[in-house]
Amino acid sequence: MEAYLLAVAVIALIYTLLTLGLNLQYGFTGLINFGVVGFFAIGAYTSGLTVLAGWPLPVGLLLAALAAALASWPVGLLSLRLRIEYFAIVMLGYAETIRLVVTSESWLTGGVRGIAGIPSTSAALGLQADPTLVTFAITLAAVVAVILVTRHLIASPFGRVIRAIRDDEDAVRALGKHPGRFKVTVFVLGNAVAGLAGALYAHYITYISPDQFVSLLTFYIWVAMIMGGAGRIGGAVVGTVVLMVFVEGSRFVRDVMPGVAEVEMSSIRLGVIGLALMLLMRFRPQGILGTKGNP
Amino acid sequence: MYRAIRTAALASLLTSVAAVAVTVPAAAADKTFSVGALNPVSGAGGTYGTGMQKAIILAAEEINAAGGACGTRIAVVAEDTQTSPEAAVLAAKKLVEVNKVQVVMGTWSSGVTLAVMPITTAAGVPLMNTSGAPAISTEDKEDLVWRFQATNGRFGQAFSEIAALRGFQRPATMAYNNASGLGNTEGFEQAWTARGGRLVSKVVYEPKQASYRSELQQILAANPDVVVMGSYLPDTTIILREWFQSGENPDLKWIIPGWAANEKLVEALGPEVTAGIIAVDSISNENAPSYARFGEAYARATGEPAGANVYAAMTYDMMILWGLAMQASCPDLAPRAINARLRAVDDPTGEAVYGFAEGKAALEAGKTINYEGASSQLALDEYGDVTPDFSLSVITDGKIVRERVVSLGVK
Repeated sequence: MEAYLLAVAVIALIYTLLTLGLNLQYGFTGLINFGVVGFFAIGAYTSGLTVLAGWPLPVGLLLAALAAALASWPVGLLSLRLRIEYFAIVMLGYAETIRLVVTSESWLTGGVRGIAGIPSTSAALGLQADPTLVTFAITLAAVVAVILVTRHLIASPFGRVIRAIRDDEDAVRALGKHPGRFKVTVFVLGNAVAGLAGALYAHYITYISPDQFVSLLTFYIWVAMIMGGAGRIGGAVVGTVVLMVFVEGSRFVRDVMPGVAEVEMSSIRLGVIGLALMLLMRFRPQGILGTKGNP
Repeated sequence: MYRAIRTAALASLLTSVAAVAVTVPAAAADKTFSVGALNPVSGAGGTYGTGMQKAIILAAEEINAAGGACGTRIAVVAEDTQTSPEAAVLAAKKLVEVNKVQVVMGTWSSGVTLAVMPITTAAGVPLMNTSGAPAISTEDKEDLVWRFQATNGRFGQAFSEIAALRGFQRPATMAYNNASGLGNTEGFEQAWTARGGRLVSKVVYEPKQASYRSELQQILAANPDVVVMGSYLPDTTIILREWFQSGENPDLKWIIPGWAANEKLVEALGPEVTAGIIAVDSISNENAPSYARFGEAYARATGEPAGANVYAAMTYDMMILWGLAMQASCPDLAPRAINARLRAVDDPTGEAVYGFAEGKAALEAGKTINYEGASSQLALDEYGDVTPDFSLSVITDGKIVRERVVSLGVK
């Protein structure tokens, strides 16, 4: 049981990383990023290929974050010119473009066949330990680090400016600050975190292919952030935990309800998640930890 | 004194009866063997997953009805992969760690199988799948992964065999851009060039287009005499319609996998367009008694004919073959010990058996057996992949008429 819970915890922590990155972009700065999964994919492929080529794991993780950051730089510049809603649509398309590039460039990415046999974290580090445990430790460390950095960032003058941008961009401009630079920085930072999450995912699942990087994941992350409460660091964590409890917990509901077949359960699972989200939006639109007034 | 003895005797008798009464079910409960059914109940494989899961349960019931394997009842724990590697990894972890299953069967898509393999192998649990990707064979370092579906490469070999039989000289290929589509046409190219032939043109097309006219033009411009397809039903329908409408190369022939060239294709396009199309499929063991028994049980359980879901017959065979291996490995029921016996109950030199009860009786009589499955003859090769026969059918007057069986032989 512990090993299973640990496996769920690893996935939950990887999602938490993604949610933290998105929260920085949307919760604190108001950037609508519908392309989370694209940067996640870039991270996964970068680190997977780097480590498969014989480089050590830390290099893979670093390059993953760097590659995701680099890929978001040009599109981040767009955020200066496009209004919120248009930017959201561009991002949706950008993530899909990344997926198509991965599918087409099969000399590098294996195309639709994907990459099998990526070294797990413990194998890449040359340890004999259980890969789930090692991934858990590394991912937990990454989550803690990202939380600490985010807290520091939010409390700094930089944090005040980005929250001001979220609340009223024109007012920020009127005060003589230039919002563009801040928005691009936040965008790149958040996506670097998504790239890191992708790298950890690749070394945990050990097999990656384009059909694992579809927009559904982006919306899972949005659901987690909204449920937890956008603009709250704790909200990102709580939202992901709640999402995972719904997704994975439903497996056990069937063990205590023997009359329900797995076939029916998979439909019930989706229904319950949808219902829970609707009820939450009806009775607590600001999210579990959110405060009224913040988006 | 006498009373005391009598009371004591009675009491001891009662307690021993009670003890027996208690221990019997307890012993029976101890002797169950947990099997994990990990199927694509939702997601892209949703059409097949339900039937696959039911087939595993049907086979387990058949084993239990015959007194179990090695005196042990089979208990099936079912999980959904959602046809997603990530969900499948967690489901597999749950099956192995929480439900303590000792074998996992029925993963469908290659991505799921490749993601689940490291987990089951690390736990020493065998994994039986119906995926096509070649990487599964090479990643299986401990011989714990078994494949009950013809690999895409084998389909390609069958295509090449058939193209040669028909005397084609100038083949071209068209492939749907996914692992299975590419696997089929690349397998064909490999086998065809090994024969000394060459391809006049090859095209890979992106899924879900409304029209494939430009891809088709590219193929037709090379003037092939046959086009070998690695395709699915929707795209095949569009491509054939556009070919017929264009009026070019009216004598062109098509070799198409059976899952795309079926009754639905004829229904959509009519007998004139589909005339002469060569359909190739791995054949379920349709004439074997195992297929008849499975087909009847499956129809009773699901209300659908067994032919509607080829993967169900494969998962049925997984469970029956595993049960026979348990019987052969008796009394050692450790997963690895049973795993090592899988080839022994599928021994080409053994006596052919078509069901669990029959096989169990033969094993108890000390014979070597060869389980002839409902899905194929099985014949697991050195990679743990089955070697099914293929059928060559030609669509004539809107009917799919089987011309011959193509056997690639055990390699």
